[in-house]
Amino acid sequence: MIRDLIRPGTILRLVVFAALIAFLLAPDRFAGLLAPLTSNGAPPIYHQSSLVDLTLSHLFTVAVSTLAAAIVAVGLAIFVTRPAGAEFLALSRAVVNIGQTFPPVAVLALSVPIMGFGEGSTRLALFLYGLLPIFENTLVGLSTLPPAVVETASAMGMTGRQRLLKVELPLAMPLIVEGIRLSAVIGLATATIGSTVAAKGLGEVIVAGLLSNNLAFIVQGGVVTGVLAVLISDGFQAVARHAAKRRGVSSGAPPAEPDEQQAAA
Amino acid sequence: MIELSHLTKVYGDIAVVNDVDMHVEAGTITVIVGTSGSGKSTLLRMVNRLVEPTEGRILVQGNDVSKMPAHELRRSIGYAIQNHGLFPHWTVARNIATVPMLLGWDRRKVAARVEELMELFQLDHAQFAGRYPHELSGGQQQRVGVARAMAAKPALLLMDEPFGALDPIIRGKAQADLKAIQRRTGTTILLVTHDMDEAIHLGDRIAVMDGGNLKQYAPAADILARPADAFVDDLIGAVDRPFHYLTLGSVGAAVEPGEAGGAPLAADASLYEGLGALLWSGRKAAPVVDAAGTPLGRVTLDSIADRAARPR
Repeated sequence: MIRDLIRPGTILRLVVFAALIAFLLAPDRFAGLLAPLTSNGAPPIYHQSSLVDLTLSHLFTVAVSTLAAAIVAVGLAIFVTRPAGAEFLALSRAVVNIGQTFPPVAVLALSVPIMGFGEGSTRLALFLYGLLPIFENTLVGLSTLPPAVVETASAMGMTGRQRLLKVELPLAMPLIVEGIRLSAVIGLATATIGSTVAAKGLGEVIVAGLLSNNLAFIVQGGVVTGVLAVLISDGFQAVARHAAKRRGVSSGAPPAEPDEQQAAA
Repeated sequence: MIELSHLTKVYGDIAVVNDVDMHVEAGTITVIVGTSGSGKSTLLRMVNRLVEPTEGRILVQGNDVSKMPAHELRRSIGYAIQNHGLFPHWTVARNIATVPMLLGWDRRKVAARVEELMELFQLDHAQFAGRYPHELSGGQQQRVGVARAMAAKPALLLMDEPFGALDPIIRGKAQADLKAIQRRTGTTILLVTHDMDEAIHLGDRIAVMDGGNLKQYAPAADILARPADAFVDDLIGAVDRPFHYLTLGSVGAAVEPGEAGGAPLAADASLYEGLGALLWSGRKAAPVVDAAGTPLGRVTLDSIADRAARPR
């Protein structure tokens, strides 16, 4: 456990996280660093809104839409892998694929007249955009379980619901988490365009930079978003690793040959 | 114990199981043997309703299985398969506890039962209870699989090629252990295999299936002595038949008065083992002793040979 903590990768992540927090709490201390990117005496640090507020509301938007996408996509994948829902498999795949191929900008453009400016439209776009990775991963997870394991679950007398909750979902969990990770990371990046419809988020800094031709704004908005994405992605991967570790290698080589002889003796 | 009547399963136009009638006595091991595609696994899987019959009826302990909710039926019947089907995310102890937990047994009772079973199957509780299936060898996984199947003390145990994935030495031991455990618990076992040796070694009765039909259903000795048709004959193998036959009798049954030199044979050893011992030591006869070591007489090559001959 201790050895895990002092690995170089972990230290690097902690340093990056500390730097991110330091920048968000006291951005003016970094003004010198960003000043060379400005011209004509433009401010190097964005001050129209607090960077902490923007970051939190950015994260909140992504969290809400990813959570909603996870609930719907996992639910849908469960439904179409049950006997009752099997015939909807092709249809739901098509619907979810459309959600992915539809550009988020277009979703924004279409939803603004309905939902108005602000977070609502952004959340809708991210939600639709986040469905596919979670749905596909959950589908793969649930449909590639070892057949012997699924059959024994039934043969032991588990009801359909018990089989799903006790066996299928736990075994598919690493893949499901991986899907949620993909959605969250894509969402973090995509959420920046929400600022074009007046959603509060880090996109606001980037857009301001684009409008005023201020490279320092663009860089600080982009880097903060990117660092968040990397850290969150790492977090999900750690969760997926933990879930996979428990699962082990179901068909792997038996490592315990000496024990066998010992037990047989 | 089990009563199959007119049992039929049709997939498309093909009757995978065709009008099978069969009666299985309580407390016995019945082995269904056949080639792949003979319908033997389908037959087995209809008993706990993993497959629903097209026609016919199955009674287990007098109850029509189609009248019971499938999950309740299955909790009352043990089930073990070739690739053990252990839950990879659960420890050995949790795997064995599967059915007792589903039945809502009290925790302490479950823990005691798990410990009892691990001892029965020679798995050290302290060492193995907390391990995951992938940390076990093939033989250990198989034992956990059978232990799990027997956890809730089912009166009936279904086994689908349970030893198929084991190497020959471990398989032999697993078969002997199963037989010993079955004699102790009195569980009725219905076991499917493609291996005639296994069938003869384990089965009180053997059912031979081919192309969905039950070709012959009889005690092992009858199958060997009077195969119903050319298929059953083939399955036994002409060369192996006398040796199979010898595995069924014990040295004790062939004892005659007299003296012989050399190492004694145990009376409860099979005639097959006796023949092997005589041939390898180059003797024509050997003394026989009972379990306590008391001399009973001797057994000769001739008397063993007589018992390997086709009965008339």
